[in-house]
Amino acid sequence: MPSTTVTSLGYTPPDGGWGWAVVFGSFLSIGFSYAFPKSLTIYFKEVQEYFSVSYSEIAWVSSIMLATMYAGGPVSSILVNRYGSRPVVMVGGLMVGVAMVAASFGTTIMHLYICVGVIGGLGLAFNLQPALTIIGKYFLVKRPMANGLAMAGSPVLLFTLAPLNQFLLDNFGWRGSFFILGAIVLNCCVAGALMRPITITAKPPANQSGGDDDGAVGKTDPQARAGCLARVNKLIDLSLFKHRGYLIYLVGNVVMFFGFFAPVVFLAPYAKHQGTDEYSAACLLSIFALVDMVARPGTGLVSNTRWIRPRIQYFFSFSVAYNGACHLVCPLLPGYTGLVVYAVFFGLAFGMVCALLFEVLMDLVGAQRFSSAVGLATIIECGPVLLGPPISGALVDIFMDYKYMYFACGVMMLVPGLFLFIMNFFNYRWLKQEEHEKKREELPMGSARELATMEETKDSEQNIKLNQEKQLTDSDNKEP
Amino acid sequence: SRLLWSDITTLLESVLELEILKPQKIELSCIISDIPNNPTHIIGYWKKNGNEIENSKQTVYKVDKQRFIFKRIFNIQVNDLGNYSCIFSYLDKQEQVTFLLKVPVMKDKRDKPIVSYVGDSVVLDCKIKRMPNTWQWYKSNGTEKVLINATADPMNYKILLEKNVTKLTVLNLTEEDAGKYICSAVFEIKSSESHVYLKVLSLIEPLKPFIGITIEVVILVTLILLYERYGRSRNDSSVDDSSGTDGRRTRQRNLVH
Repeated sequence: MPSTTVTSLGYTPPDGGWGWAVVFGSFLSIGFSYAFPKSLTIYFKEVQEYFSVSYSEIAWVSSIMLATMYAGGPVSSILVNRYGSRPVVMVGGLMVGVAMVAASFGTTIMHLYICVGVIGGLGLAFNLQPALTIIGKYFLVKRPMANGLAMAGSPVLLFTLAPLNQFLLDNFGWRGSFFILGAIVLNCCVAGALMRPITITAKPPANQSGGDDDGAVGKTDPQARAGCLARVNKLIDLSLFKHRGYLIYLVGNVVMFFGFFAPVVFLAPYAKHQGTDEYSAACLLSIFALVDMVARPGTGLVSNTRWIRPRIQYFFSFSVAYNGACHLVCPLLPGYTGLVVYAVFFGLAFGMVCALLFEVLMDLVGAQRFSSAVGLATIIECGPVLLGPPISGALVDIFMDYKYMYFACGVMMLVPGLFLFIMNFFNYRWLKQEEHEKKREELPMGSARELATMEETKDSEQNIKLNQEKQLTDSDNKEP
Repeated sequence: SRLLWSDITTLLESVLELEILKPQKIELSCIISDIPNNPTHIIGYWKKNGNEIENSKQTVYKVDKQRFIFKRIFNIQVNDLGNYSCIFSYLDKQEQVTFLLKVPVMKDKRDKPIVSYVGDSVVLDCKIKRMPNTWQWYKSNGTEKVLINATADPMNYKILLEKNVTKLTVLNLTEEDAGKYICSAVFEIKSSESHVYLKVLSLIEPLKPFIGITIEVVILVTLILLYERYGRSRNDSSVDDSSGTDGRRTRQRNLVH
């Protein structure tokens, strides 16, 4: 009984069982969302020659796709709040499939911008948000682990899609490849099918001011809330902007994203600039991806431990700062061996940040408001994510040297890392003070610290309860 | 005429590539220095394509304290392109330097074919470092080359000539258009060629994997949803699925499977 009231969800998440199938589904959805736009770059040269356009015009396809994926966050959140994860992901998968098939018949570059860029991007947005949200519904105790595993989808799928795309291109040309990719992304619908909605009625938490409850499938708009003000607030939780932890997260992330992706984009060009051949430069990216693949679930495992979980915000700040440190050191490392070392350490850093990125958000706002939170976060992060690589590219062009870009990226990550560390130190303190005040009156909501400490003590209790449940339903099943 | 020379300061076998664009007289000279035992003279001769050139053997005397210069003027016409080597012997050793005289070569050849579809159009291109007099495109039919005349057949071909680059656009592709296309950079002395393979597929080709994968997706989705319905109907025999949750349950019951 008491365990259900600890979480802001209103129920005890299963933390296992079908949850692992859901993790696999999220693994696929997240993987496609992040890896698909990146893997399309393999077709750029062919398409560029076919339409006789410049490289930057082709690169817009990827940028538009990424931009729409991030900007479509709030739309996705609204739909998830209303209908749950499963239908949104399945519709998203269908959208991307249809978009790619339509693109394969394209006659102008504008056709590609709209099909692949806008519709495809929106479809991927409908995959990303729900996949992240549903993890919070199925997991609490093992959530960092689940998040780490699901986020590993991105490097694994990139690793798979890149050579697959090359194979398709060699055998079917770009048109045939787009056509077949349309079928391949339909596997997102399989991922969506796995995202079984949790079939219980969520008790509305006492001090939640907006946002719909995520009920079961088929459930229409739940209990009309007394005092529900703006219509927008009903669809998506705008009160999040008053949430201190959320604001800290946003500020830190916005600055961080300026320097986050650029080093990945420029890893191979930097290597070639140093004189390594194409094959070795590609090897660097593979090393990076492999380390990333392992780092994500590894980080999930580490952050699930008793020592890290309550201080997960610090762990996140540390990984952001560690990224920054890697970039600052990179230009100082000599030769190809130096680059390999950098690729390994950077892969680790990148994986750590990615694994924790959404876990800390869930930790801050709680799983109930996570859907709205992530939607609003992605649309705000849209700017730095898109502007980061071109600005870095401009830095390289102006100074004709990569080291200034690495210094800039390093600073862009070190400063937010320190900022997050310091602000979270204060935030933890203030939260603790607020807890002490509210302790006997109300149940703390979205209080990460208390949640974590209570988890520590109630860990074994929950396990026992779950086992008892299992036995109960097992015996239920045995009866005809 | 042009002068080309090679300075060999170490007695190692070395090769030099030289690009010849037009017929001309070329002087190839080999400069040798630092021979042990410091002989007063050495014997040298020239080889063309591995065969000794008649009457090319001569005694070379020292020019200054350390160096021997061994040179010869060649009249290079279209048939004279090839490998020229100066070989000199001293004591019991022989050393040589080889000059490769040839037209500029197009280095980045595509080893993979370009794939396109019936009814679509495709752009084939060739690039070269030096500017040729003109470009020509051929289609290969077995052993023969057939010249492509874009002006005579504008419905099917377009040729773009732009200094170092040429582009052939083949329109209204049919399956007969598949095969080997040869682009030829015409220099005064000789032409330099490169080829590109074109594959033309019918629209059914990509359809097969597409349908295969779509069927796989439909089967998996159906299986997953059926499994869920089966599991659910065993667990809650009294609740109607479509109406969602009726009674209040505080614990999730679909945990076990």
